Amino acid sequence: MAGSLEGIKVLDLSRVLAGPFCSMLLADLGAEIIKVEQPGVGDDARAFSPFIGSESAYFMSLNRGKKSVTLDLKDDKDKEIFWELVKRVDVIIENYRPGTMEKLGLSYDKIADVNPRIIYTAVSGFGHTGPYSQLPAYDMIVQAMGGIMSITGEKDRPPVRVGTSIGDITAALFATVGILAAINSRHTTGKGQMVDVAMLDSQIAILENAIVRYETSSKIPEPLGTRHPSIVPFQAFPTKDYYVIISVGNENIWSKFCQVMGLGKYYDDSRFKTNKDRVDNVIKLEEIISSVTITKTSQEWLEILREVGIPVATINTIDKVVKDPQVLARNMIIELEHPIGGKMKIPGNPIKMSLTPPVIDTPAPLLGEHNSWLLNEFLKKE
Amino acid sequence: MKPLDDICIIDLTRVLAGPFCTMLFADLGANVIKVEAPKGDDSRTNPPFINGESTYFMSLNRGKRSIVLDLKKEEAKEILKKMVSKADVLVENFRPGTMEKLGLSKETLIKINPELIFCSVSGFGQYGPYKERPAYDIVIQAMSGIMSITGPASGSPTRVGASIGDITSGLFAAISILTALHQRQRSGKGECIDISMLDCMVAIIENAIVRHSATGVVPEPIGNRHPVSTPFDMYPTKDSNLIIAIQNNNTWDHFCRAINAEYLLEDVRFESGASRTENEKSLKTILIDILAGKTTNAWIDILLKAGVPCGPLYTIPDVVNDPHILAREMIITMKGHKKVPELKVAGSPIKLASQSYKLEKAAPVLGEHSCEILSEFGFSKDEIKEYSEKGLVG
Repeated sequence: MAGSLEGIKVLDLSRVLAGPFCSMLLADLGAEIIKVEQPGVGDDARAFSPFIGSESAYFMSLNRGKKSVTLDLKDDKDKEIFWELVKRVDVIIENYRPGTMEKLGLSYDKIADVNPRIIYTAVSGFGHTGPYSQLPAYDMIVQAMGGIMSITGEKDRPPVRVGTSIGDITAALFATVGILAAINSRHTTGKGQMVDVAMLDSQIAILENAIVRYETSSKIPEPLGTRHPSIVPFQAFPTKDYYVIISVGNENIWSKFCQVMGLGKYYDDSRFKTNKDRVDNVIKLEEIISSVTITKTSQEWLEILREVGIPVATINTIDKVVKDPQVLARNMIIELEHPIGGKMKIPGNPIKMSLTPPVIDTPAPLLGEHNSWLLNEFLKKE
Repeated sequence: MKPLDDICIIDLTRVLAGPFCTMLFADLGANVIKVEAPKGDDSRTNPPFINGESTYFMSLNRGKRSIVLDLKKEEAKEILKKMVSKADVLVENFRPGTMEKLGLSKETLIKINPELIFCSVSGFGQYGPYKERPAYDIVIQAMSGIMSITGPASGSPTRVGASIGDITSGLFAAISILTALHQRQRSGKGECIDISMLDCMVAIIENAIVRHSATGVVPEPIGNRHPVSTPFDMYPTKDSNLIIAIQNNNTWDHFCRAINAEYLLEDVRFESGASRTENEKSLKTILIDILAGKTTNAWIDILLKAGVPCGPLYTIPDVVNDPHILAREMIITMKGHKKVPELKVAGSPIKLASQSYKLEKAAPVLGEHSCEILSEFGFSKDEIKEYSEKGLVG
């Protein structure tokens, strides 16, 4: 059976990360993605390191399974092709700054006039409404303004950026949800609509309990390192070679933990008797536990603690993630053969479906690779 | 008109990943029926509380209805099966094997309703060597590699301050259910979906995997700096901090002129993105000197005029009071809760043009809609009374 989005055609004007990540998910699910790039230079991400041969590995990891055509949206002839495409596609994705499409004469209203069934998706830093709508934004700016940096990092040390571009990626995920909800809604209404997703909005939506914690207590949530705000011990501890994660979720685990760690004398210590006591005396307890964990390697602790059923993990560096047996068993690291880049490993798709699973078998396109396909095949079909 | 108002979801999930997914559906207008054990969703006991009700729970379950069913009892299972026969989607986030032990395996339920979309969300997925292991968000963050690339430069690995292991799997689960609903229009067939938190985190670590596979170098925490673009970092100012994000030479040019440091444009060490990243330390020393001269707001005014992407560093109170965030309805006040009349929570970032309704429906108290839901599924008044007396529903 073909992918679940077989037959859905997407005109993708987006560049770099948020838009391309969204259209990559749609491509994995079987949609046909026509990526429109500027002649000569293409998507900005084609210039991002690292490179394999002449091709950007960054670009290749985000654009698998798409077709690339080059169109100059400032050129009248190319605009004619654009309007022909508008008549034939189900979804448009763009991540320009709000107002850019209007300046190009390609506003949503005009597009909806030509094809009322189209789902027009705009992904931007601050969204198409509100006072900051026109401001430029990159991932780091929305991480900072969305509050996630203020709760990530070590206590009493400067806030830290999440090590991946979570501002772009969560916006891509919410945009995908919006597009698919609109496609489903179209089955009943017959009408398309505009989907407006802002990176900043998406950051607010993933703050979990930080907002209600603040609203309830008026205490400003702060970074806590690897520590859990209300369960102790539940964090990373240093080992001989790196760190080990230990999650003592209840009193039963705490009892077993004290025994196996040779910390029996602290089990009855009034400072650590209940979870609340341990939360109150976390700094002292951290010292005590660290002085034990530092004596063995992470792997040794993993074996010892797993044996007695204590939730435990090592912190994988990327070289370990790409070799992990569970990650490999789930097909989460896949290898694609690119005509210039050769074989390269990229992350797989986490959507595992029994009937119509995502299919990932086509590498990212070269710039304008599908220009002749567009003119000689796609636009000739009625 | 709500985009998904004809979709009925049976929600057996607890705590975070599953409830986050079904909250997205509730926001989009779906009929989400939260089936809870007599003790209720575990997160009903998560602090902080208002009037005895968990605000953690309330922030994740708005717009859903709650029915209590004791699924350890045979007759309650029959009630659930009858509900499943009329539903579109079932979502569960038990440890793999639990639904089978309850006699409610996906095979059994799909036999009852061949159009059912059955979505499982778990720590490691329904197959693979770790499928039986318990997982918490921090275990998944640690194993996915994200902690190994987050934190101060040459400092210890750091957990992302929100449970993004759970949240991203909630998002991917929502995407997979929606795509399955679309394909069902064509095929008339349901679907089984298997979402693993670990898979989802591997899928979002962006360029770290290709950086490693292309160069062999193991990515490390680099503080607030971007691995490829420079300057793309947080800098101290006269009064606080400033974020600057420059990703091309054109913006670099505007930036240098705006801060009256044209001489940097002549410096060969800083002539391209790659060379600025290579000489990041020297550049940072220079910029720290310059940026210390004015306040954050003064710099933001200057840099935005020059078109340079920049911004302040917000704490949570800044977030909930920001005029733009409020204008986008990203902080909403939930109303209609039985015990907590008003509570501020995050809104939905999915802004659909057709969505003219306000999100403000509160989370349910435990079992609030048990009778109403049973009667909608065709159970008679006498049956409902009998079930409550037997303790099957609450």
